[in-house]
Amino acid sequence: MARLTQAGRQIRKNILEASRASGHGHIPTSFSIIEMLCAVYETMRHDPKNPSCPDRDIFILSKGHAALGYYATLSHYGYLPAEELKTFGAFESRLGCHADRLKVPGVEVSTGSLGHGIAVAVGLALASKIAGRSQRIFTLVGDGESNEGSVWESVMVAVNLRLDNLTILFDANNSQIRSLQISNPADRFRAFGCDTVEVNGHDTGELKKALLSPNTNVRAVIGRTVKGHGCRTLSENIFEWHRKSPSAEELPLLLAELEAA
Amino acid sequence: MRKQFKDTTLDLATKDDKVVVILGDISHFLFMQFQERFPDRVYNMGICENALISVSAGLSAGGFRPFVHTINPFLTERCVEQIKLDLCYNRFGANIVTTGASFDYAWDGATHHCFTDLAILRLLPGMEVTHPGNRRELDTLIRSQYANGNPTYYRLSDHGHELEIPVEFGKANILIDAGADVTVMTSGPILSNVAKACEGLPVNLVYFNTIKPIDVETIGRFRTTRILVVEDAFGLHDAVCSVPDLRVSRHGLPDRFCAFYGTVHDIRRKIGLDAEGIRAAVRERLANTP
Repeated sequence: MARLTQAGRQIRKNILEASRASGHGHIPTSFSIIEMLCAVYETMRHDPKNPSCPDRDIFILSKGHAALGYYATLSHYGYLPAEELKTFGAFESRLGCHADRLKVPGVEVSTGSLGHGIAVAVGLALASKIAGRSQRIFTLVGDGESNEGSVWESVMVAVNLRLDNLTILFDANNSQIRSLQISNPADRFRAFGCDTVEVNGHDTGELKKALLSPNTNVRAVIGRTVKGHGCRTLSENIFEWHRKSPSAEELPLLLAELEAA
Repeated sequence: MRKQFKDTTLDLATKDDKVVVILGDISHFLFMQFQERFPDRVYNMGICENALISVSAGLSAGGFRPFVHTINPFLTERCVEQIKLDLCYNRFGANIVTTGASFDYAWDGATHHCFTDLAILRLLPGMEVTHPGNRRELDTLIRSQYANGNPTYYRLSDHGHELEIPVEFGKANILIDAGADVTVMTSGPILSNVAKACEGLPVNLVYFNTIKPIDVETIGRFRTTRILVVEDAFGLHDAVCSVPDLRVSRHGLPDRFCAFYGTVHDIRRKIGLDAEGIRAAVRERLANTP
């Protein structure tokens, strides 16, 4: 596995420190999507100084429990001050453990209940088509989230409407080996009619190339990822760390692992 | 009422290019002419109600005024979480229009009976809940509410009442104000049975086309009377009881499935919601009112 980029390392560092400060976690699931988020924000039209500019592209984090990773990425691209990340989950903070569109600049849809964001993304993609806008819609779904039937309802509807302005990023981090694993996601998305590519989900360059490749129907980008990518302690103990935040003793160890990654 | 729904939305679509209709594989034949005229504004999207509600939220986020329509229990009871989160919590407006109220599809059995929709949806913050009694009420309520950016529920029935009543969203109608000690309150199509049941009896009669927001002011005018809510679905009684310090009783559905077939009239008769059964309940209320 290639070394982390500077951005990938810094965003993860901010996540660890915010989790330590706040006592809230979901770190491994956040670590698995950082490169996918970076690829989206480096590909789509957006303006952190004017988050609601009318000609922007739209991103929706359907796996809403990775909100800390999302906030840290939004902060990296200029939507939030990094210091604010430490208020994660605090009473009256803007940054809940699931993102709220009415509180956080750059967040387009409030998510948290799995299987919702992707369906709202389909509606946004349809709206753009009807309105004749050249806008693109991106949504990131988890493999665990894809146990939800509404994910596949959404894919069927989107493909049937030929929404080629919609890109579904699939975080194949194998988190569901504990219950209902989606073992062959690329085959499934192809079977549902998506233009599907499978890439290393931690290679921002490969991801950006996939996001810019031509497509004639809904694009599915399957990112092969590692839950907790960047810290061996996390990636080798994903269940223990699912929603844990590091102690004062654990934080420097994790930061050291991150530095070496 | 379904034809009125189509007529009203088609008329609105001719004036408002933000009107989009999503069908869950119901009423598609009815909307054929609409679809021919506005092919990019009507979508028979499939039998996937959870997705339909969320897609309508996305359409709203994208600047449109969606109507989403299919059979009642599948679009309301099945989709409570999508309505709660994707519409209400996100504050994306959409118009939810169902067909098959209460026992309209009596013959299909309990899977197609729907009597909790009004009660559940009125609990959701930001939701508007209407209970139109006939075509004219539906037309007025849709025109009044469809573009205000809130999620709004319209419960269609095939058995509307025949009374001509002034229609205003959120405003109850006092149909009889006899200065009586008992006030009957009801909503929606069952008014036809309720009005017949009350004929000649010393009661006041108040009718609601909107369950949320409930018309607190009109209810308050009858504060000193004994109130009897007559309902063929849960919701109005809860809404009336949200006004403090009232004396309210209910004549409505039992706490068991009404798993009979036949027609809505058969089931209403069976559970005492035909005119005769309602009249008996009103008489009992009168007899027990000091």
